[in-house]
Amino acid sequence: MLVVLALTVAGCSSTKSTYHYQWNLFFQSIFSPDGQILGGLWLTVIISIIAQVIGVILGVFAALGKMSKVLPIRWFANIYIWFFRGTPLVVQLMFFFFGLSVAKIYTWPDLTLGPLTIDGPIQAGIFALGLNEGAYMAEIVRAGILAVDPGQMEAARALGMTPGKAMRRIVLPQAARVIIPPLGNEFNNMLKTTSLLFVLSVVELYETFNIKQGQFFAPFEFFLAAAVWYLLLTTIWGVIQSWIERRLARGTPGAQAAGPSLTARLIGLRNNSGNQAR
Amino acid sequence: MNDGDQSTNLLEAIGGAPPAESANIVEVTDIHKFFGHNEVLKGVSMTVKQREVVVVCGPSGSGKTTFIRCVNHLEKIQSGSVKVNGHLIGYREENGKLVSDKERNIAHQRREIGMVFQRFNLFPHKTALGNIIEAPIQVRGTSEDEAIEMGRKLLARVGLAHKEDAYPAQLSGGQQQRVAIARALAMRPAVMLFDEPTSALDPEMIGEVLEVMKELAREGMTMIVVSHEMGFAREVADRVVMMDEGLIIEEGTPEVFFTNPQQERTKSFLSKIL
Ligand SMILES: Nc1ncnc2c1ncn2[C@@H]1O[C@H](COP(=O)(O)OP(=O)(O)OP(=O)(O)O)[C@@H](O)[C@H]1O
Ligand SMILES: [Mg+2]
Repeated sequence: MLVVLALTVAGCSSTKSTYHYQWNLFFQSIFSPDGQILGGLWLTVIISIIAQVIGVILGVFAALGKMSKVLPIRWFANIYIWFFRGTPLVVQLMFFFFGLSVAKIYTWPDLTLGPLTIDGPIQAGIFALGLNEGAYMAEIVRAGILAVDPGQMEAARALGMTPGKAMRRIVLPQAARVIIPPLGNEFNNMLKTTSLLFVLSVVELYETFNIKQGQFFAPFEFFLAAAVWYLLLTTIWGVIQSWIERRLARGTPGAQAAGPSLTARLIGLRNNSGNQAR
Repeated sequence: MNDGDQSTNLLEAIGGAPPAESANIVEVTDIHKFFGHNEVLKGVSMTVKQREVVVVCGPSGSGKTTFIRCVNHLEKIQSGSVKVNGHLIGYREENGKLVSDKERNIAHQRREIGMVFQRFNLFPHKTALGNIIEAPIQVRGTSEDEAIEMGRKLLARVGLAHKEDAYPAQLSGGQQQRVAIARALAMRPAVMLFDEPTSALDPEMIGEVLEVMKELAREGMTMIVVSHEMGFAREVADRVVMMDEGLIIEEGTPEVFFTNPQQERTKSFLSKIL
């Protein structure tokens, strides 16, 4: 991003640019955002949270399914993971919304929860994001479970716990320590990936700015402002994530040292999150 | 072992000795166990009466761990049968044939069988007290208050009253193993299985764990102990059993076993460890 900025600035000074900068639009978007921007921001955050929660739940089930002793369950889990990791999210979004609704398989009617109405594209978007995320979480959860000493499962079972209870009470809480750092990275990705919902015309943060830049013909100012908002979201999340990880390391003595520092996380984390190409 | 008047410290903490439904608490009959093509147990039988303490020894790889894990069905057996307190473990009898039992039933059967592992296997995310009360609450359905009261008593009896809020990582090996014994006892098992409970400990901590085990033996807990601690065996065992290559090759009272072993392999084994 900085490179682009530097190039742009360099470009401006060398050649006479015809682009008329409207910096007030940029600063307004940042310092006194209007209702549309705040609405988009809210939608991005809420969609990210719900999709991530769905992803974690599906990820746990898919991980358990992958490790099941029952062959058809293993197949089912593997096919799920294979499909969602092997196809682009955009295709999944379009298929689940347009594909299903045009074929009249499911038309995504508005969902009304008290005063809140959630329209079809948002539902479909959350659904596809959650399913997609579950496939990635499955591997993370599985790695977490495998990292727990098998002696833990045995001790729990020797005490008379059923395998399910032993998994829930003993193994998963310990796996959580291993799962939470990559889960934080997944959520960081999720905050940004929600921007793809523009293909369903969901007016989340990105689409809000996309509409604005069209109205004012100020793509430079508005997309820069969008970038700043996303940076703000991911930075705040980075701070929360470090805090959670520090607490986690404190709560359970013997835990390995806390994860990367906040700065390392913000700058370097995409290298090891491993699934940015969706 | 029947010193009727001995203090009943540990068992008192769990509300007295658990009820025995059968004179033979453990009845292992001709079990065979394969890992792939490798036959690790080649027909092992053992009967343990109530209040009896049996010490199992034998060279590395002779199948001691496998045997003790078969007793609570952490390992499946390929033939033979295991009964604890009168109940078949891991299998049901249907028209005279043994069929594999459901996980839920096996879990139920394991409540009667306490197990102490070589490497403690305490739950690292729970405190000492948390480790002890987990199974009574989750498995037996004991109320939290009751479980905590029992847990505190047990911790006091193993000398760790002051450590109830400590996490396993904050405890020494000897302390962890004592918590592990208390954890197993909290389920009020009919029998306690120990797999080399002191072999992962620093020498200076072995004594404190053996003391707890001796106390338990004196109070009349039925126990099967895989151990090479011959002092312990001499003091509290009713029987010492020698395993070699998947078979029990010799057994006897400690006096006879240690002073007058019959088998060459027992003699050479004893000469190495004594
Ligand atoms: N899970 C397993 N898979 C395959 N083989 C195994 C497994 N567990 C044990 N064995 C084999 O079974 C045999 C008996 O092992 P076991 O652990 O019961 O011996 P042990 O008498 O407890 O030895 P030690 O004194 O070293 O603990 C060994 O040959 C071992 O390699
Ligand atoms: Mg062993």
